[in-house]
Amino acid sequence: MKTYDVIVIGAGNGGLAAAATCARAGLSTLLLERHNIPGGSASSFVRGRFEFEPSLHELAGIGTPEDPGSIEQFFNRIEAEADWHKDNSTFRLIVPAKEGDTDTFVNENGVEVTIDARMPVGFENFSRKLDEIVPGSYESAMKAFDLSTRMFKAFDAIGDMSDPKKIFSILGEVPDFMRMTSHTLNEGLDALGMPKKAQDIFSTYWCYMGSPGSRFDFLYYMAVLHSYVKSGTGIPDKRSHEMSLAIDKVIRDNGGDIWYNSEVTRIIMQDGKPAGVVINGEKKVFGKRFICNSYPYVAFRDLFNIEDVPEKQLKMLNTRENAVALTTVYLGMNKTKEELGIKDYSVFIAPCSDSDEQFSLVNDYFSGYCIINCLNEIIPDCTPEGTCQLFLTSMTHGDVMRDIRPQDYKKFKTKVAKDMIETCEKALNISITPYIEEIEIALPPTFCRYLNTPLGTPYGYFLDKWDSMIPRTIQYMKDQPFDNFLFCGATQERGDGYGCAYHTGEKAGNLTVKAFKEGK
Amino acid sequence: MASTIKSLKAKKFLPMLSDRQNRFENGASKLPNFSDQASVIAKALHPKRQYLTVESVKDMAEDCKSYSLVPDPERGTQELAYFGAGKYLTVFETIDGMPVTRAYSISSSPKDSLNGKYVLTIKLVDGGLMSRYIFDTWKEGSKVEVSAPSGNFEYQPLRDASTVVCLAGGSGITPFISMANAVADGDEDFNMILLYGSRNSKNILFKDELDELCKKCDKIKVVLVLSEEKRAAKGTEKGFITAELIQKYAPENEPYSVFICGPQQMYAFLDAELKRLNLEKKFIRHEMFGEFHNPASQADYPEGIPETVKIKVTIQDQTYTVEGSSSDSVMQILEKNKIAVPARCRSGECGFCHSRLISGKVYVPKDLEYRRLADYKFGCIHPCCSFPLTDLEINVPVAK
Repeated sequence: MKTYDVIVIGAGNGGLAAAATCARAGLSTLLLERHNIPGGSASSFVRGRFEFEPSLHELAGIGTPEDPGSIEQFFNRIEAEADWHKDNSTFRLIVPAKEGDTDTFVNENGVEVTIDARMPVGFENFSRKLDEIVPGSYESAMKAFDLSTRMFKAFDAIGDMSDPKKIFSILGEVPDFMRMTSHTLNEGLDALGMPKKAQDIFSTYWCYMGSPGSRFDFLYYMAVLHSYVKSGTGIPDKRSHEMSLAIDKVIRDNGGDIWYNSEVTRIIMQDGKPAGVVINGEKKVFGKRFICNSYPYVAFRDLFNIEDVPEKQLKMLNTRENAVALTTVYLGMNKTKEELGIKDYSVFIAPCSDSDEQFSLVNDYFSGYCIINCLNEIIPDCTPEGTCQLFLTSMTHGDVMRDIRPQDYKKFKTKVAKDMIETCEKALNISITPYIEEIEIALPPTFCRYLNTPLGTPYGYFLDKWDSMIPRTIQYMKDQPFDNFLFCGATQERGDGYGCAYHTGEKAGNLTVKAFKEGK
Repeated sequence: MASTIKSLKAKKFLPMLSDRQNRFENGASKLPNFSDQASVIAKALHPKRQYLTVESVKDMAEDCKSYSLVPDPERGTQELAYFGAGKYLTVFETIDGMPVTRAYSISSSPKDSLNGKYVLTIKLVDGGLMSRYIFDTWKEGSKVEVSAPSGNFEYQPLRDASTVVCLAGGSGITPFISMANAVADGDEDFNMILLYGSRNSKNILFKDELDELCKKCDKIKVVLVLSEEKRAAKGTEKGFITAELIQKYAPENEPYSVFICGPQQMYAFLDAELKRLNLEKKFIRHEMFGEFHNPASQADYPEGIPETVKIKVTIQDQTYTVEGSSSDSVMQILEKNKIAVPARCRSGECGFCHSRLISGKVYVPKDLEYRRLADYKFGCIHPCCSFPLTDLEINVPVAK
């Protein structure tokens, strides 16, 4: 039987990108996936007459035809084909008033709130809008975007570099880059003199990476916000399943093999290094190099003899914290968005405005923090006539499940979903429940089932200030377990997100290709 | 002083790098051990396979038996997966070298599964391969292999009305027996009005259990509907389940859901009846259609299709070329050629058999069309409900 040049374990976004990169470079490539379809989080599912987007809120990396963003560039680079719909809004943040709040007003929905910020695309527009809501914040916001614009070039230049010396030479030229990456989001915005309330609005996207203002580094947050505000976002026409099948096709068209329902259950070691895999407990396949899209903890626990795992890897597992988890509710509605009274694609409903306070609530099964998305706002005909689909997301921690028994789970799911739906109904002053035609609820166990991650986190490791993106990037090679076995996906330098996972997969793919070229 | 980024120290950066590695250096050198109930729940509810033993067999009626199944710890199943009433198990068997699967609704209650028991109530189907095999071979002590509980035919309080009119035809009673028990046990909370159609009083399944449930729980009402009886006994109806009959028993001034489970011809009949009641679509839910046969009977089935077709199938690194009848689904053709295919619902719905069509054309009955949008774009099919119109080349995941 043939020995593959590279075996990629897991067809999540990272694994797909890695396999596509290797196959396109002419390496004999085998991609193995335990599920029957590709994508991991990037997928879709059908209930009744609705097809739901399971995880994607929006892609910040689409850009415009003239100035394509990172994901569009990646798709172009590997010649994968997906159709995008553009969204020219960013977010709307609503913080409903609580008892004792003084600074309140009644918004267009007739709800008493302390914040209702519908933020536009474009740095100038965004900053001006912020200033309208919090006078005196314009200048600081523009300074932040000026920094991010300058930093973005360095950020891009680092790209998939793995040689620390090269990275340092870029950093050395931009001291502000070092300032930003070594300080938190809160410290950065304080330094720019942004009023607190404006900071709260400015920090809204912290939850996409799961790290709040006092722990998320300023540089990475600005890179994220920058990519959203610069030119808006995109959504694939046929849910994320389209993106995953598009990359699946690229891999096959370039001679790569993809085996679904093929779970790696063991790594075969030879001379202290991975040399092959056992699939579904029976079939052995050998390879020269490996790229692993699984979580290191899961891989080392399930695939290796513990004595074969480099000590540093175990130490890393004991040092790093698993990131937050999510609860999501998918609703097929038998009314249109107009009939329901929904006017925005993406509304963040927060029980309080400070990101750290919001973060402290995730240890409850439902924090009152909920994002509501209506895909029909971007793709009007994504559901049959007279209907629409809604997608609710809240953050939680996998550990909130600690006292739930399997037999309690169904009722618990319904209770969480009910709380989330009612929170949205109240905050938007609309009625949702009577019009639910289809509902599906995903809690951390659902994510465990489909993603096989510890505590159901889809976010990898907590992006803490000591374990932030740039140090992870510089030390990437140092942190890999074997010279022929690289990790990719949400546990790597950029944390979660489709673009981040594609990036780490492509990088691992390129490093693998390079190793072959250098005859290693 | 003007607010500027320059007030932050750039030299904080380099020490971050050594700090990070130092922290790692101080970590413990063992696999972390933390409780992860989320993963425990996922594994408990969705085992890859369940290995069971037939504990007892009970005659339910002519050509209908109930099989009590218990875990077989020797083959690795310690406990049964808990389930929501209405779910099915896919049974895996090998008959004359042919891998065969069938989905059967669980007729026992969710609570019974916690006590280590599932019941499958199986009717012998005319010409049915699996039911015949089960009738002939499943005895006390037989070893059986099934999937995790699957399917979406369940009560959902946020979606369904507080009263459900359940329409059962023949052995389609099985998921409703489980639901009725779940209501009586307090595991589900809704008012159940069960209209249960049978041919005659001899064919009624679970008669005693239904009487018992009605006595025990005032949320359950059962009306027997007998099509071949000349006279309706007290409390029963004669004839078929119709719109009028549903109206007669459904609540008058409040919304109600309708759940339907029965033979395929019943779905077509009841869909027409329900249309007359003008119910919202959200209030009508069908159990899965079941395996589809005789595609040529469909109005939109094309003409001039060859009787036999060749299929070239690749599974992992194996490629086979087989022949079969164009009136069989791709899945059936492969199975008849002794090739195992991933299979669960066999009704198009679950997508577990998701495969890639490399070349050729297939026919998919429109009621069984549950593919994802991108599947059309990239040529993916569900072999369980795809009927070959030409020779095919396909790539199928390995059976699991």
